[in-house]
Amino acid sequence: MHKLYSNKKVIFSLMAPGLFVFAAAILAPILLSVYYGFTDYSGIGKSSFIGLDNYKTLFQDSVFWTALRNSLFLAIGFICIQHPLAMLTAIKLDKLQGKAEGLFRCIFFIPNVISVAVIAYLWKFIYNPNFGLVAKVLKNLGFTGQLNLLGSGNAIWSVLAVLIWHGFGWGMLIYYTGVKNIDPVMYEAASIDGANGRDIFFHITLPLMKPVIQVNVTMAVIAALKQMETVYLLTAGGPGNETQFMASYLYKQAFQSYKYGYGNSISVMFIVICLISTVALNRIFAERGE
Amino acid sequence: MDKSAIATIRNNPGRVLTITVMTIIAGIQMFPLIWLIDFSLCNSNELFTNGILVWPKKIQWVNYVLAFTNGNFLHYLKNSLLINTLAVVLVLVISIMAAFACSRMEWKLKHAASILMVMGMMIPVHATLLPNYVIYDKLGITDTIWALLIPYVAFSLPQGFFLTTSFMSSIPKELEEAALIDGCGIYRILTIIIFPLMKSSIVTVSIMTYLNNWNEFMLAITYLSSKKWKTLPFAILEFTGQYSSNYAVQFAVMALSAAPALIIYIILNKHITKGVALGAVKG
Repeated sequence: MHKLYSNKKVIFSLMAPGLFVFAAAILAPILLSVYYGFTDYSGIGKSSFIGLDNYKTLFQDSVFWTALRNSLFLAIGFICIQHPLAMLTAIKLDKLQGKAEGLFRCIFFIPNVISVAVIAYLWKFIYNPNFGLVAKVLKNLGFTGQLNLLGSGNAIWSVLAVLIWHGFGWGMLIYYTGVKNIDPVMYEAASIDGANGRDIFFHITLPLMKPVIQVNVTMAVIAALKQMETVYLLTAGGPGNETQFMASYLYKQAFQSYKYGYGNSISVMFIVICLISTVALNRIFAERGE
Repeated sequence: MDKSAIATIRNNPGRVLTITVMTIIAGIQMFPLIWLIDFSLCNSNELFTNGILVWPKKIQWVNYVLAFTNGNFLHYLKNSLLINTLAVVLVLVISIMAAFACSRMEWKLKHAASILMVMGMMIPVHATLLPNYVIYDKLGITDTIWALLIPYVAFSLPQGFFLTTSFMSSIPKELEEAALIDGCGIYRILTIIIFPLMKSSIVTVSIMTYLNNWNEFMLAITYLSSKKWKTLPFAILEFTGQYSSNYAVQFAVMALSAAPALIIYIILNKHITKGVALGAVKG
């Protein structure tokens, strides 16, 4: 029996497809990216090896820093606005019980199943200064001025609003799972001891939710770093490069500015930043958890 | 809970407040979609009236007819269904195989291999957009189903592997041992014993993989040039160009493209919310 479980041929046959896919579709392109990142390839024709020039340019490229700052902005927005709302909603929803609980949980998640393409175009219409929903609501409230929500200064906030709206149900659902896992006996014991709602929240709910909070914060940071599709359709990184993110910027450099080599150096930095952030967050949470 | 307890909860003013707040949040979550459906049934000119929602003078079903016929809707839907289903099946088969090898079998490098497989979760798919373009171009598979299927499978696999591995460790080994004594080989154990026991994780992995890939369009825009394999988001992307001034028809296309996923969600919502919760908390 033991022999069967250490049969090399069987192990190889079971692992081969997975490792092959990983090597061919993730590892190989990354290595190729590293290679192209050292060249001035434009996408067609010949290219030459230019060493670290792309990376030197990148560190002085203000758009790259804007992209990083935008990711940080989104992450902070998610953590400070979306998540407290999602968590409070989850806690309240848990107490609702009965049919209403299931119904609201179902409704809150709906935006998540709608395609990003629909979401982005829909919000483009909602933000339209002439006939958009926001403009109409403001008009009915008596506001008469023109407000370009996708214009300079406003665009990044508008992007944040869409993403908070879109991802709310997802975050809520995870907090909700966390709340559901708390043993009701804890609440009973606390109220017998005379704890009020606030005490219960700060001394029972919040500490016991720590694992889900960690999961959600990590996912918020990663989502903020990986942002591309909504922004690509909603603002295309504009106005100027105000709402550019790493993914949309590397795409722009490669396919619109024909700097394929430079685009690849952004890809490499993008991967490095994602890896460092994930590892750092896990470290921080692992230390705290002890 | 007895009836009087239910009555006290029902009469609780706090409950009324909670329901009111929940209704407002639900309203915010749903309103953009209601707005979308409302104007998809209107004449484009009605969009410029002052009302936040309008009651269409005559319901314009013609918007949907146009969206359906001129938007290649069925063709794109068929592609989306085919590509996503294939991706789900491949992710499931490959991850269950690898998960079995890594969690059950005895070999030296199994921990290193598991870490490698899970590493993919940290890599952003868009970082491979540029190099994969060159690779697929050299292999001559741009504008084919492979250009989408390969990255979709590759980037859903790490999570699939992670989830199946953690579920598999909860299956008692005794079951397999009995089968081994009866002379079953590893492949038969996998198909006859393990596979049927993995039902809940199969549902979770399928849902996560679908949600990851169903809405994807950046890879599709980059790798596809002809209509042959384009997926559902293209119905919208192409229509907004074609009917740039006919807003109502664009709204109809958006509503129509959102419909399949929405209908499936409403039917399966319990499984989906459970699957996402399990998948996200474990992953």
